[in-house]
Amino acid sequence: MGSANIWITDLFHFYNKKQVSPTLENINLTIPQGQLTALIGRSGCGKSTLLQMIAGLLMPSEGSVRINAHTVTKPSAKWNMMFQKPSLYPWMTVRENAALGLVFSGTYKDKKDRVEELLDMVGLKDHKDKNVQQLSGGQQQRVALARSLATEPDVLLLDEPFSALDAFTRAALQTEVAQICHDYGITMVLVTHDIDEAVAMADKVVIMNHNPGRIVGSMDVNLPYPRDRNEAPFIELKEYLFSEFEKIDQAKESELEQMAS
Amino acid sequence: MSTVTTNAKFNLGQLATTYNKMPDWLQGFTNATLGMSILLFFWWVGGILIESNPDTEAFAAFAPGPALTALWELIGTPFLWDTILSSLERILYGLFWGIVIGVPVGVLVGYFVFVRQVANMPFQFLRMISPLAWMPIAVLAFETWDGAIIFLLVMATVWPIVFGTAHGVQRIDPNWFQVARNLGADGYQMLRRVIMPAIAQDVFAGIRLAVGVAWVVLVPAEYLGVTSGLGYAINDARDTLDYDTLAAIVVVIGAIGYMLDTIAAKLIKYYSWKME
Ligand SMILES: Nc1ncnc2c1ncn2[C@@H]1O[C@H](COP(=O)(O)OP(=O)(O)OP(=O)(O)O)[C@@H](O)[C@H]1O
Ligand SMILES: [Mg+2]
Repeated sequence: MGSANIWITDLFHFYNKKQVSPTLENINLTIPQGQLTALIGRSGCGKSTLLQMIAGLLMPSEGSVRINAHTVTKPSAKWNMMFQKPSLYPWMTVRENAALGLVFSGTYKDKKDRVEELLDMVGLKDHKDKNVQQLSGGQQQRVALARSLATEPDVLLLDEPFSALDAFTRAALQTEVAQICHDYGITMVLVTHDIDEAVAMADKVVIMNHNPGRIVGSMDVNLPYPRDRNEAPFIELKEYLFSEFEKIDQAKESELEQMAS
Repeated sequence: MSTVTTNAKFNLGQLATTYNKMPDWLQGFTNATLGMSILLFFWWVGGILIESNPDTEAFAAFAPGPALTALWELIGTPFLWDTILSSLERILYGLFWGIVIGVPVGVLVGYFVFVRQVANMPFQFLRMISPLAWMPIAVLAFETWDGAIIFLLVMATVWPIVFGTAHGVQRIDPNWFQVARNLGADGYQMLRRVIMPAIAQDVFAGIRLAVGVAWVVLVPAEYLGVTSGLGYAINDARDTLDYDTLAAIVVVIGAIGYMLDTIAAKLIKYYSWKME
């Protein structure tokens, strides 16, 4: 798998013309190849919107997203998004779901082994022929992961992909996905409200603010993989990030109050 | 006397336990046989009533005995099979055009809110008109009787198929589109791998309803001009006072209708993906 730089330059977005403040304002972000970036921020600050723009599912009002030499104008299996819901196709087996991206590109015949390997890797060795409706939520999200990885993406975009899972499954998948992205050199962007998740997975955490959606800070996470969540540096970083987050939030609150008075 | 009653009770109890021990398919089969026996019984009673009433005595051949004998004789003749084939052919044409028109229209109605809002009233309105009410128009508009009959059948089949398809399309999870686009699906692949499998069961549910209505409409439609088909055979038997044949044809109509419905139900089951 290759990997990719992502450049976001002077990006603005309005969902409709009557909006007073933009949904996203002046977003500039460069993500070097192979880096794992977490976007965190309050609900409604535009994280999903930004991610959909990187995926090419939505076009920004102004500015652009570039991945390597391409300006992103449409979705591609090379920059792949995993959603909060696995959204598997219930009329297909686990294998058929995982192979779908390859079927679309017409390369499944040559890459059958790849699908088998990926399913083994995400722990679905014994479930390949089952209908996806027979799987648990965590297993379904693993199928979605295999499906995303099958097309050998340069960029993997994750929109709160684990938020519907129980704590154990979530922690296991966080570790696995971060590991996989590192092993294959995939550039990953993760959207989350979970600070724990951000610190567990990311090399760099980017903090966003709402109204308008803006990038207001960032923090590097220089911890080795796999990360032990009980070690002091991990906990310290988490607490630091939390306090930063609160500071930004309070500043925003008082700003809003001032505007109101 | 008392011993007899206990004996009878004992037997009934035994019967109940045997029944409960039977596998599901055998229970189903027993119940179906029971149902058909009850139907046959009413038919038989009806036959006796007709025969015993001097006003209706002439129609005594409607009774199960003569009818089933006539049926047995008919089965050996090419006449019956030709009759069935020409009716089935019309049904197939009617269904074919119903599907060709109904599925795309249903997709549009299901997919675009605007189309749905525009189409809803007129479609519900048209749907409520008995297909047979189109008969005079059909006769004027089509050169052949066959054409007219097939038009009536299309008017019967198209609505359930439109509504079934539209329902299926509305049930599609929007995320399925997004995921497929994201995996690089083009328009054709989206149709083939996502939309069609997603709506297949609802389309077939529509087709099942359509087959039912079409089969019901076919017989009176075949009273028109044509000289083949089950409706014609009924009319012909009436004119020649051949009441046992008439009753036999009615049995054939019921049997084939049941068969068509079973096939449609099998297709729905085959294409349904929802697990209980
Ligand atoms: N399709 C849309 N049309 C109009 N406004 C939208 C649309 N989607 C999102 N918005 C608005 O844009 C803002 C950003 O939404 P977005 O979904 O990007 O937030 P988010 O940060 O992902 O929130 P969450 O953490 O709750 O998922 C919100 O105020 C939302 O109401
Ligand atoms: Mg979101």
